[in-house]
Amino acid sequence: MEKINNPLGRVFIHASLILFAIFSAIPFFWTTLQSFKTLKDANSRTPKIFFTPTWENYQELWLRSVPENGAAIAYFLLVAVVILVCLLLFAEYMVLPNSVVYTISGLGFVALLWMIPQLVDTAKFYDYFINTIIVTVGTIIVSITIGSLAGYSLARYTGFASVVILIAALAFRALPRLAFILPYYWIGAATNLLDTRFLVILTLVAVNQPFTIWMLRSFFMEIPKELEESAQVDGANRLTAFRKVIIPIMWPGIISTALFSLLLAYNEFLLVRLLTQTNWTLPVAISRFTGGEDPRHLTLAAAASVSATIPIMLVILFFQKNLVKGLAAGAVKG
Amino acid sequence: MRRITFFQFAAPSIIIMVLLMVIPLVMAIWLGMQFMTFTNINTPQFVGLQNYIDVLSDARFWQSFRFTALFISLVVPARLVLGFFFALMLDQVSKFTRGIYLSIFLLPFIIVPVVGTLMFKQLFEPSGLITYLYQTLLETRFRYNELTVKSLIIIHGIWLGTPFALVTYFAGLQTLPQDLLEAASIDGASRLQKIRNIVIPHVRSLTILILLISIMDTYRIFDSVFVLTELNPIYKADTIMTYNFQTAITVQRLGKANAMSILTVIGIMIVLIPNLIQSYREQIEER
Repeated sequence: MEKINNPLGRVFIHASLILFAIFSAIPFFWTTLQSFKTLKDANSRTPKIFFTPTWENYQELWLRSVPENGAAIAYFLLVAVVILVCLLLFAEYMVLPNSVVYTISGLGFVALLWMIPQLVDTAKFYDYFINTIIVTVGTIIVSITIGSLAGYSLARYTGFASVVILIAALAFRALPRLAFILPYYWIGAATNLLDTRFLVILTLVAVNQPFTIWMLRSFFMEIPKELEESAQVDGANRLTAFRKVIIPIMWPGIISTALFSLLLAYNEFLLVRLLTQTNWTLPVAISRFTGGEDPRHLTLAAAASVSATIPIMLVILFFQKNLVKGLAAGAVKG
Repeated sequence: MRRITFFQFAAPSIIIMVLLMVIPLVMAIWLGMQFMTFTNINTPQFVGLQNYIDVLSDARFWQSFRFTALFISLVVPARLVLGFFFALMLDQVSKFTRGIYLSIFLLPFIIVPVVGTLMFKQLFEPSGLITYLYQTLLETRFRYNELTVKSLIIIHGIWLGTPFALVTYFAGLQTLPQDLLEAASIDGASRLQKIRNIVIPHVRSLTILILLISIMDTYRIFDSVFVLTELNPIYKADTIMTYNFQTAITVQRLGKANAMSILTVIGIMIVLIPNLIQSYREQIEER
């Protein structure tokens, strides 16, 4: 549409956008403020916008005891994270091949996460955080591997079977989760798999799958068939052609889909709540802060909420383009 | 692609779909016909359709059904209207400003739903920001009761789902037929006429899509109600999913809970089947 040019109209546009931005962001803004307050400040009946910030809520959430050389450890961790993030950001400009840099940086993060409990006395929340990372990464890897194989074949095979699978996937995606989760619970109880990461990852892959195959299929449809045909003429079989020719140009689509799988696995509450008793992921762990008489729950819940949001915000910051593109692609084609 | 190659590639997916979607669904039908609690989970007792009768004559089930219906009928239209309106507004600003607004608007979408609800709740705690504004402006105390809790759940539903509608509509606005718009300008059509006669028909398929996805999402609303009410029955704000959850976990009537989820599946199928038929036709035509 052409732009509105009269000044009153411009004021109206920006005023309404700013109002909506406040509506979208205010819960996050307020919770962040609360998380840096002492319990007394947080409970003040007249909201305090200006106050002396404190780390104590975060300390209580993440640590069992505060180490003496806490500041030194914090600076060390900060520097290590900055270096690893820089490696990821500037991988293209380094002498080593991209894949090597990504692997080094990934291993660095794993080493760091493993090292933290050795350095400081971490609380239960850290275990939940690690558990969430394992479940999320596991779900993404399995979903994308089997999803891209299926998505590719669904994009290329024109027989009736592929229509049946696509429509079935669409139906499964729409059904309420509990219809599956209650039987999962029963299967888990019968096979003694309840409360294991294996069951959580497997079931998350299953409920995520209908979505991933539709989305990946729509990305594969955009790739011209001639590309893999020419590879096959060179004597490569379909799987090799798929791996060597198709996957490399599919990265943007795969990242978009992985991002949605990440949100799904990281966000899932009901399934994890029912299938685990101790191996919680963050949403379930955080939901424990809702009720109860303990007054500290107010600030602890705030600190836990912000802590769970920061990693997702960082990931989205890196990949916002893929997210918006994925939303649009899923919308226009799905 | 040959048939055999297709099945080789799709095998892992098909196996997971059969093992973890088709079989559990069939199992849910079977479990729904058992009397089963956590104590006799290995030796269930067959009771036929008794569980289904129990559900359908359960007043609390119908109460949760009514609240879910109210929630859907208020939240879905609000998401569509707000999403469309703010997509139009966003289309009016420069590319740079747009990026900033968009990252803020996406916040409710990327924050973990349970966490987002907790954050929302922080505003309405006795020491919360909105509680303070409410009490200062209206000079009455803000209390948690049936009306306020239900309103909170509904406002939260709008907050949570509008970004999706907004981004989708915004993507649709980028592909508007420019020649039509220009022709309309030459004919002297007003902005509102253009929106009504060109833009809205252009985004019609997107509207249907957002409508369907929103209906399915709001139908299975669980996380926010769980956090906001802590499943306290005094607010009478149960939805079908939270009541189903309580039947399974709190009351431990697993058979009845399975029967209830089968009934909810049948419920959503009424909305879904026309859409499935249409997708089926589209897919057949594509070949």
